Amino acid sequence: MTEERRVPIQVPVLARVEGEGTLELRVRGGAIEEVRLRIFEPPRMFEKLLEGRDYSEVPDMVARICGICPVAYQMSAVHAIESLFGVDPGSWVRDLRRLLYCGEWMQSHSLHIHMLAAPDFLGYTGVTDMARDHAEEVRRGLGLQALGNDIIRLLGARSVHPVGVRVGGFHHVPPRAQAGALLDKLRAALPQAEALVRWTAAFDLPAMEQDFTAVALRHAREYPMNEGRLVSSHGLDVAIDQFETRFVEHQEPHSTALHCLHDGKPYLVGPLARLNLNLDRLPVPVRAVLENTGVKFPSRNMYHSVVARAVEILLALHEAIRILEAYHESPAPGVDVKPRAGTGYGCTEAPRGTLWHRYDIDAAGKVTHARIVPPTSQNQARIEADLRQALQAYGLDHEDAALRQRGEMTIRNYDPCISCATHFLDLRIHRVSCF
Amino acid sequence: MTSKILILGIGSPFGDDRLGWAAVEALQRSSALAAVAGGCISFAVLDRPGALLLAQWRDADYVMVVDAVRSGAPPGTRHRLEPGEWIAREPVSSHGFGLAAALELARALNDLPSHLAVYGMEIDPSCTGFSLSQPVRRSLPDLIREIEREACACAQPAII
Repeated sequence: MTEERRVPIQVPVLARVEGEGTLELRVRGGAIEEVRLRIFEPPRMFEKLLEGRDYSEVPDMVARICGICPVAYQMSAVHAIESLFGVDPGSWVRDLRRLLYCGEWMQSHSLHIHMLAAPDFLGYTGVTDMARDHAEEVRRGLGLQALGNDIIRLLGARSVHPVGVRVGGFHHVPPRAQAGALLDKLRAALPQAEALVRWTAAFDLPAMEQDFTAVALRHAREYPMNEGRLVSSHGLDVAIDQFETRFVEHQEPHSTALHCLHDGKPYLVGPLARLNLNLDRLPVPVRAVLENTGVKFPSRNMYHSVVARAVEILLALHEAIRILEAYHESPAPGVDVKPRAGTGYGCTEAPRGTLWHRYDIDAAGKVTHARIVPPTSQNQARIEADLRQALQAYGLDHEDAALRQRGEMTIRNYDPCISCATHFLDLRIHRVSCF
Repeated sequence: MTSKILILGIGSPFGDDRLGWAAVEALQRSSALAAVAGGCISFAVLDRPGALLLAQWRDADYVMVVDAVRSGAPPGTRHRLEPGEWIAREPVSSHGFGLAAALELARALNDLPSHLAVYGMEIDPSCTGFSLSQPVRRSLPDLIREIEREACACAQPAII
């Protein structure tokens, strides 16, 4: 006997959504037989759009892939192209690119924690509902998000789809006075970022450990953002140009989003994976704040992702302060670049996880082929594996509405770019009884 | 004491979505507004401010927000909404935090300005490129005059 219950969720006509999703569960005899997160987001063919374009256009084009993490796309792109051209933009550019990334982590993580995660964990329908009881925390979150935007604006001229980045460096040298004013604001925000870590660590998070492979960049000296080798919790340690030998994307019939597997298995990228693999790269003051919370890392509780995000906000703030304290106006915002033919690889840590780019460029500097593997594609199989365990542990005899809420919460915890869609999750449960 | 007035235009460079920006550009050239007490009116154009809209109106006594609207009315139809007249129907997400959601959040935080009006105009979503559709272009002067009138009235010295 098959009993199908469908919970219709109205999709508002005016809603600005980045995609649509359906979660399909097949339950037999009280156990989940199949989980399918169907993504309907139509492919945008960005990689194809890049073909035939001059290398200099790439940073501004790929920034358009995401309104929340445009810096990540720009950074992976410029590193890939510079490695191909054999360009070293120097330490001034390197430092400021790390600063720019700090801004993006701060704004993106703060947005996710306060708009999506915290209402889930504190039992509110959304941030507006939560703000009535937690006004101070929401204001603090908005303040940290705004500071992240200020950093991006300093280097990128605007916070959404910044335009300051180019292959070889930046388009302008920020005035010292402007950098100094920002530094004052960042220093003043340190107590707020520390309080944020303590706040998230005190959430009553579901206690459920899962077995997963964590993958992230790892750098010789610092917490990874723009550079490093690809490492995993299961022994992987390769250069980024070896990505395609160990990670394979494939199409699943039920989703327009590609699934990426590592050695044939699901894996995790993002803040929890990064922190698990780079605890010893945290600056001492950040480690001290984390250790005082009592939350232990490395953690196998996926819900500790929210704590990891808060820790990364504090880390980004410390790093931004360190970089701005040493800031000086360079005579030039970058170096000249001469194109050459070949293949270049770039891999950086977007807020949501590892973002890998590959560009084939001809002698005239035109892109002949591009490949972009975003974090959401890498986490997709892991999200399905998590849903299977999380919903089974939660209890499949719950009402559909409760199961849908738990499913959404589980998905949102990854902060995927389809998170918008998961708000309208259309849950289909096929309950198959065995007689 | 002079009231501080802030006029915010929300939009993008594309099609009728640039309505908010076009309105602010016209208001910045307005001789009627230039004649009111110097320095009390400020302007800003924004592109998807999301929840950070709240940070824009700190210290402003009167805030007027101009944005494109899609309610099903004919393109060019003007709207004026006051607090309580909008409903945040779209769910909040990291990528989609609209004007109504931002206003609802401000209300929950008790951070709404003491006087707030949202001016909107129905747009033609099929209008692309970098210019406004004909119905929106035709209605824009009336919208500008309406905002000018309200801004001039607000600019009268406050009684303290």
